[in-house]
Amino acid sequence: MALLEIRALRKRYGTVEALRGLSLDVERGEFFGLLGPNGAGKSTTINILLGLIIADSGSIRIFDHDFTSNHVAIRRRMNVAAAFTSMNGVLTVWENLMVYGRIYGVKHLPRKIDELLERFEITDLAKRRLQHLSSGQHTRVTLCKGFLNDPELLLLDECTVGLDPDIAEKTRRALQAVQRERKTTILFTSHNMNEVEELCGRIAFLSQGEILRVDTATHIKRLIPHQVVEVAFQAGSDLTPIRQLHGISRIEQNGDHALRFILDDPTRQLDPLLRHLTQSGNPIVDIHVSRPTLEDVFIKVARGEL
Amino acid sequence: MRLMNSQDYGFSATAIGGLVYKFMCLCYRSLDRVFDIIYWPVISLLLWGFTSMFIASTSSFSGVMEFFLGGAVLWSLFWRAQTDVGTFILEDFWSRNVYNLFASPVTSIELFVAIGLIGLIRCILSFLFLSFLAWGLYAFNIMDIGGTAIAVFTSVLLLFGWVIGILIAALIFRYGLRIQILAWSVGFIIQPFSCVFYPLDSMPGWVQGIAITLPSTHVFEGLRYAIATGELAWQPLLISLGLTAVLFVLSIAYFQYALYQAKKLGLLTRFEMA
Ligand SMILES: Nc1ncnc2c1ncn2[C@@H]1O[C@H](COP(=O)(O)OP(=O)(O)OP(=O)(O)O)[C@@H](O)[C@H]1O
Ligand SMILES: [Mg+2]
Repeated sequence: MALLEIRALRKRYGTVEALRGLSLDVERGEFFGLLGPNGAGKSTTINILLGLIIADSGSIRIFDHDFTSNHVAIRRRMNVAAAFTSMNGVLTVWENLMVYGRIYGVKHLPRKIDELLERFEITDLAKRRLQHLSSGQHTRVTLCKGFLNDPELLLLDECTVGLDPDIAEKTRRALQAVQRERKTTILFTSHNMNEVEELCGRIAFLSQGEILRVDTATHIKRLIPHQVVEVAFQAGSDLTPIRQLHGISRIEQNGDHALRFILDDPTRQLDPLLRHLTQSGNPIVDIHVSRPTLEDVFIKVARGEL
Repeated sequence: MRLMNSQDYGFSATAIGGLVYKFMCLCYRSLDRVFDIIYWPVISLLLWGFTSMFIASTSSFSGVMEFFLGGAVLWSLFWRAQTDVGTFILEDFWSRNVYNLFASPVTSIELFVAIGLIGLIRCILSFLFLSFLAWGLYAFNIMDIGGTAIAVFTSVLLLFGWVIGILIAALIFRYGLRIQILAWSVGFIIQPFSCVFYPLDSMPGWVQGIAITLPSTHVFEGLRYAIATGELAWQPLLISLGLTAVLFVLSIAYFQYALYQAKKLGLLTRFEMA
């Protein structure tokens, strides 16, 4: 029994079809990524799961209960951290977390808040008004709020936007730690592909309100099979014989003394290519092998090329 | 999805405590909210105090102080109750808190109970402050009108203020911040028809037709009757109280409907960006 079950979810805003029958299962303890271009329907999905938007049709089960008829009890066991949202600006960080802690019925609240402020390294901001914080500091307060009630299901909508690389890295560690310790189920959206790849077990690719594919990052990257090998040779090398090499999918000139080899089937093509290069007698000064990234797949999906 | 079901009436004392704590923080952190309970009431007390001093010195109008100052103090309670609901809800829109608040397990009932509690406290503070001021400035003791009378008058006015406040809040959820001006302006439309400073029967027929439907009118009529006779006109007051209670329930139902509409149209998440 999946922790979150979405079936045939539809939502239309006027003429815009934001979700066209989206179905999705997320298992307990999964760190699940929602990926897709702007306007794909990621936030709409999350907002429906929060009860902030009412879907036109479809059903949602969370913790094995129907969401619509149990949303208050269900919401007590989940939480959200979303970019571009806030709490009360004139209240301090501490006061805001006290308010939400009580709303969520958190036990030993002051201790919990201390612990979270420490985890996200904002203890020194506790007495500052929310409206006086930088956007990255603000984001970390939002994350603290998200973790206040030790949610079983945590929805993170671009929650790492605006964090500096150091804090972003620490935030990823914190997310992973909490997720491992408490078996929290996390639904995560981000436009940072490295982050998604590092954190998420499975990823759903959304486009125009539909799920195109659900799989692990490793499998999704295989949607683009090719590898690219870029080789730079010493000046004055004669590259003509190398360019006539057979069995390589494509060979392109890459500057005066460099070539780019595109391998559609690297497992069969890489070894013969390297042998041939060393035997050709041209001294090699640099070599770079690049595999497709999640970003490459993303761009192809967004452009409708996959 | 059903518009409402039993869970929407859920009730958590801790959650209400959290909201009341938030409103208290808002009150002492925001000068505006302190201003609310002092500045405007004082202005109106000065205005009507001087007016009644002038009238008392030029005519044989007896009980003129009670007439005007009683009206001014009671009206400020209605005004306070009505604008508090609007501003406490608007505060969440201004600070983009609507998203997080409505994603939480909080129910509308908890929200209104909390606003009601904080509103009550603010009204009592405002009332005490004005009473002392009227006594100090004009040697006018509002308790001369009678404790029971004051209790009945304020109950009707607070409840009616909340009804209007909740309706405005509902409209803000449905139509967004562009109509936030209603939170401060609706009271001004209701005031002339509530016969705060003049008797109902001195008005033209069409005004009387409107005025008689407003619970607030019966409070101010009752005030003048009490001043003149020393007695309470129970019947119209109880009818008004009953009517206001019914309106109160209807206004909450309308709020729930407006919230449902806002969720259907995706407005709760869009205001965040406004
Ligand atoms: N409240 C709303 N009212 C009207 N249209 C909306 C609303 N919210 C979203 N939409 C529309 O629905 C579609 C999906 O939007 P959504 O916010 O879910 O996309 P997203 O995948 O989160 O995109 P992004 O990566 O930009 O955050 C878009 O076309 C958007 O314009
Ligand atoms: Mg989004």
